[in-house]
Amino acid sequence: MGAPTSLKQKFLKKWIMGLQICGSSKKEMGILERKKAIKLAADVAMASTRTATTCWSRALIANASKCDENKMLVEHIMGSSQSERLSVKSACMGCNKRIRSKKILGRSKSISRVKKIAPQKILANSIAKRLVKKRTQVLKSLVPGGESMDEFSLIEETLDYILSLRTQVSVMRRLANATEHSNRK
Amino acid sequence: MDMGDEDKFEVDKRSEDSLNYHSSDWRFGGANLNNTSMGSIPMGIPMTVCKGDLIGSSSCSSATMVDSFCPTPWDHPTNSQNLGFCDINVQNNASSSNTLGIRKGGPGALRASGVKSLDIGWNSTSSMLKGGLFLPNVPGVLPQSLSQFPADSGFIERAARFSCFGSGTFSDMVSPFSIPESMSPYSSSGVAMQVPQEVFVGNGSKSMSGGQSQKNELNIAEASKDVTLTVERGATEGSPLKNERKNESFVRSHDEAKQGVDVSGNESDEAEFSGSGDQEEPSMLEGTGGEPSSVKGLGSKKRKRSCQDTEIDQVKGAPQQPCEAPKDNSEIQQKGDQNPTSTTNKTTGKHGKQGSQSSDPPKEEYIHVRARRGQATNSHSLAERVRREKISERMKFLQDLVPGCSKVTGKAVMLDEIINYVQSLQRQVEFLSMKLATVNPRLDFNIEGLLAKDILQSRAGPSSALGFSPDMTMAFPPLHQSQPGLIQGGLPGMGNSSNALRRTINSQLTAMGGGYKEPTPQLPNVWEDELHNVVQMSFGNNAPHNSQELNGSLPPGHMKVEL
Repeated sequence: MGAPTSLKQKFLKKWIMGLQICGSSKKEMGILERKKAIKLAADVAMASTRTATTCWSRALIANASKCDENKMLVEHIMGSSQSERLSVKSACMGCNKRIRSKKILGRSKSISRVKKIAPQKILANSIAKRLVKKRTQVLKSLVPGGESMDEFSLIEETLDYILSLRTQVSVMRRLANATEHSNRK
Repeated sequence: MDMGDEDKFEVDKRSEDSLNYHSSDWRFGGANLNNTSMGSIPMGIPMTVCKGDLIGSSSCSSATMVDSFCPTPWDHPTNSQNLGFCDINVQNNASSSNTLGIRKGGPGALRASGVKSLDIGWNSTSSMLKGGLFLPNVPGVLPQSLSQFPADSGFIERAARFSCFGSGTFSDMVSPFSIPESMSPYSSSGVAMQVPQEVFVGNGSKSMSGGQSQKNELNIAEASKDVTLTVERGATEGSPLKNERKNESFVRSHDEAKQGVDVSGNESDEAEFSGSGDQEEPSMLEGTGGEPSSVKGLGSKKRKRSCQDTEIDQVKGAPQQPCEAPKDNSEIQQKGDQNPTSTTNKTTGKHGKQGSQSSDPPKEEYIHVRARRGQATNSHSLAERVRREKISERMKFLQDLVPGCSKVTGKAVMLDEIINYVQSLQRQVEFLSMKLATVNPRLDFNIEGLLAKDILQSRAGPSSALGFSPDMTMAFPPLHQSQPGLIQGGLPGMGNSSNALRRTINSQLTAMGGGYKEPTPQLPNVWEDELHNVVQMSFGNNAPHNSQELNGSLPPGHMKVEL
């Protein structure tokens, strides 16, 4: 059972590292700034535990690295080796465009395809499809980097993302509680 | 021409099959036989491979064996998934050589259609045989169609007879029964079938001596018959599968096996069939294996079903199948081409569950899919079905992950739940980060580091309870009792990871500055309870998932195991 704990520990370790960097760098930070820094550190730490193997982690880190001020933090948390790997992998983001164009092509093809379904079923099918499509759109917006994923990989990424979010939430909660306790004393 | 190719295949098959057959088939055989595995097996590839081999090696009189095999797999209800995959394979294999349709690609499409018909036919027989030998893929695919297949008493007898077939190559093939089943049907009936020519070859030799003559007749007559015809024959009653190539293949295989058509005779018939264009490629043999014709149809070649049908008809002579296979086959082929790469990767992951099959999937480029009965065998639809099945499998995982999703069925509702859950988790993260920001005026985490230690320790507690590391529990009490200095000194009992982490944090803390010594003795006591609860909670929730997490990048097969 070392696996479950080690993930949390990895995350916590990286997160603490990031937070310490944040704390040491700036002297005065507004509450919102702090919150952002905490969240950023947590997200990056979470993504780095995946060592850029999943799409969402890469997208998350890529987004975080966009601002220069965050870049240092990101690199620190990630470690130089990982950030290199990440930059290489971010090149694959370009391939997402290919995926997107493929999708567009596929969609245009499907439109031309004629399906023989009973008329009463067509309505139900189309409604169901629309619902599912709407929801997948929403899910794509939720999962980082989900825009350029096909349905199947989106679900896989969601799975992984949910697990990571859970870890993040549990660790943060524990830390928050512990801090509260310590502050109470 | 198809016939030429098929002839060649036949010859090659014989030699190859015995080699390939056993290796691939038997591997699958074990796995395939299990019904459970069938359902989850996304890739029909292993099956197709096996089938091909089976058929090839079955050159001997395994035809009868085929029959016996066929029935069992059909029983399995998991067909849906297998069908999807089979279809793809059919498409891909159709064009390529198909020694038994296993060759990736072409035959797959053929199989798909063939499987359908076979399924129908085989269901009845399978239930009779209860062999459960059938390839997992086939079962998944077949069940749907097979269930409708009427059971033929004569068919049953034959199936039973074949189950005890122990002669020649088939005996080997039959033993695993998992794959061979798919193959066997082909082999027995396959004689007439073109695509699986190799399969057919085997079948012919097997027990189809009688069928041979019939086949010949039928071949001519059948011209337009699909594999489904064969299925009917096998089931003798059913020709409901007429339109289902798979059914045909089933019937044929059954019939042929039953009739003990000679392989030699079958071969000749097969040649005819190949020409006639049983569209299912041998690669698609995976389906109920019984219907080589069905396999052929699905293959890349758009042979007319008539050829295949004749094969099947030999046994029964119920020429009713229309030649729909040809069109579907071509389409299937196209689909197969489109899908293989993307699906292959994914399916390989799923193969983990299949066990023995997992060895083959990685090599497969295409997913062998078999069209289900009553469903369009359009290559597009087949590929879509595969896609859908994969997605539904993934959704199952999500169901376990997202609380309250177990009772929900349907993509839209489940997606809704998933969205809500992800949103709630993200909001929690935001809230907690805000909370931490308020609690720490200066992002001062010196104490946090200490807390981290305790967090780790508290984690260690429950984790050890979970069996993670007995040392941790032991270390835990001393930690609190010892002096602060001792605490930092290191906890011998802690696990490696926690130790490392702790040391890191400790070192960081010391670097940041001491001052945490005082609260140390008090904090653990206070935190312990609270953290312990939290940890237990989290552990309880996350333990099973974390293992998944860590294996997140692992193929889904692992996830399944852990779940």
